[in-house]
Amino acid sequence: MTPTPRIKRFSVIERLFHLSLMITFLLQTATGFSRLYITTAWGKKINAVFGGYDNSLLIHKWVGVVMMVGFVIHTVYLFTRINWRTPVKSVFGEDSLVPNIADLKHFGQRILWFFGLGSRPRFSRWTYWEKFDYWAVYWGLPLLAITGVMLMYPMVTSRFLPGWSLNIAALLHRAEAILAVTYIFIVHFFIGHLRPSSFPMNEAMFSGSVPLEEANEEKPAWVESLQNSGRLKMVSAAAPVLWYRVVYFVFGYAVLLFGVYLLINGIMYARQVGLH
Amino acid sequence: MAREPAVLRIFVILVALAAGAILLLPPPASAQEEVASAIRRYKEKEASTGYYEEYEVRPRRQRPFVEIPGVQVGLFPYSPSAAEVRVRTRLADSHMGIAFYTDKTCVACHPQEAKDIHTVRANLTCRQCHGGEPIASIQYFNSPMNPIRKHAYVCAKCHEGSSASFASYIIHEPAPGSMAALKSFPLLYIVYWFMTVLLVGTLAFFIPHSFLTGVRELFTRKKEAKNDADTTH
Ligand code: HEC
Ligand code: HEC
Ligand code: HEC
Repeated sequence: MTPTPRIKRFSVIERLFHLSLMITFLLQTATGFSRLYITTAWGKKINAVFGGYDNSLLIHKWVGVVMMVGFVIHTVYLFTRINWRTPVKSVFGEDSLVPNIADLKHFGQRILWFFGLGSRPRFSRWTYWEKFDYWAVYWGLPLLAITGVMLMYPMVTSRFLPGWSLNIAALLHRAEAILAVTYIFIVHFFIGHLRPSSFPMNEAMFSGSVPLEEANEEKPAWVESLQNSGRLKMVSAAAPVLWYRVVYFVFGYAVLLFGVYLLINGIMYARQVGLH
Repeated sequence: MAREPAVLRIFVILVALAAGAILLLPPPASAQEEVASAIRRYKEKEASTGYYEEYEVRPRRQRPFVEIPGVQVGLFPYSPSAAEVRVRTRLADSHMGIAFYTDKTCVACHPQEAKDIHTVRANLTCRQCHGGEPIASIQYFNSPMNPIRKHAYVCAKCHEGSSASFASYIIHEPAPGSMAALKSFPLLYIVYWFMTVLLVGTLAFFIPHSFLTGVRELFTRKKEAKNDADTTH
């Protein structure tokens, strides 16, 4: 059995970011929903898991603090990723997550490809929907953080802002949370793992590497630029060991199922929340 | 990649610092502290006599209500309910002379007021805020609900340190997407519709996008077996 060549896609730190985001996001969804749905039978059930209404808020707040710290660390990390000798090129270049004109072009080509009217767009390292995924979280997190802190310290907030800003904050916090949850549990899961070419699971985010062949098919421009700059050898990676694969398969699917469970029940019980 | 270890080291230090910062944060408040300013805390005297500093008692930045229906004053007008003419809002007994008042529950006549967080989630009864009989109208001069003293007489019963500004939180907020909200609390209305359009727009774009990706890939896979993937149309 010869090992298939693989190339590195995510560093250990990046995978840790993703893992901690998965865990905290799921916890926030569960504790947040347990409060939003407290008036329903289902809400009471998940509330009991977290030790009641007040306790789930306490968990929600602390996990929120951890997320905020993680966000700050991540932002610091972003700055270490910029090549400061050529900052403009590295921020707006091919390897960057910053959207550019090529994304629009790729999007157009992709629509044509959907209907068989053109060939597959030659994606570079990040496709436009991956960029959207990333930036959706990147602006959603601070929004949730700011409104969350406002609600966490309402007295302090009302010293700097009028008290009715708490109405706005509560609404924004809820709306953004629902937006994030539906997006992650429907679109992100599907595009990441359930669509035919990545089913049963897109392992890149856990193993950190992708088979060269797959990368060549999905992101030809990325592999090409690696080849041209002679970095292809440098980023070659070993295949993940078996026990590790088993662990992240089980973990990943547990998270996915739990997320979908929360979303489906959330939709089913939405009518009974009783708030305006 | 010679600079990798240095970057890594800086990164680890920053992570440690940020983790340390958690310890500096005050614990999430389970009960609010009664505080006059960042440095001056209330003493027992103030807390027990109910004497508060003058600036705490007057709504400052806030105009408590949108007074004239249809006329917006200020950049961010807001009011507790749709700005209709409130006939009974200056009475000592708001229900004076209303037929069958004694036979009914509050919610029977005021269904819209039972949809706030305090009633729905915290299970407060109406009277925990509005008090016993007679229930004074909101703007009655001596009403505990009058915005000049609401924070001290009502909110502070449960929310320690509540200020006039805090009390301008709209308890019975209008349904955020309704025309009533547009009239009485435009910012809430705008935020609601902005977020709704964002949600619907995102899903309306990405669900078909994902679905088409899935369908198209099914077909690609089939052809791939015969030929190479890139040139399939
Ligand atoms: C029989 C129906 C009825 C019942 C029962 C009733 N209300 Fe009212 N209430 C009214 C009407 C009618 C008004 C005047 C309408 C207005 O001004 O919008 C009013 C006015 C008020 C106001 C003053 C509104 C303002 O503009 O200042 C308050 C406060 C209030 N009700 C609270 C309560 C509470 C609390 C209860 C339960 C103890 C209650 N009501 C039960 C019919 C009722
Ligand atoms: C947390 C305290 C609180 C509770 C609980 C509460 N109210 Fe109110 N209510 C207020 C305040 C404060 C106002 C003044 C307007 C405002 O700021 O929202 C008000 C205003 C009103 C008004 C005037 C019209 C309006 O919408 O502003 C009515 C009617 C009313 N309340 C009825 C009720 C009824 C019925 C219940 C029980 C289902 C209830 N309230 C529970 C605090 C409360
Ligand atoms: C009888 C006790 C009581 C009174 C009086 C009371 N509250 Fe509350 N309030 C609560 C409780 C309990 C909660 C927590 C509700 C929850 O988290 O579900 C709460 C929550 C809140 C929140 C946070 C809402 C959110 O979205 O997280 C605000 C803001 C607030 N109250 C404002 C007020 C104002 C303004 C008044 C005065 C008009 C007031 N409260 C009067 C008990 C009270």
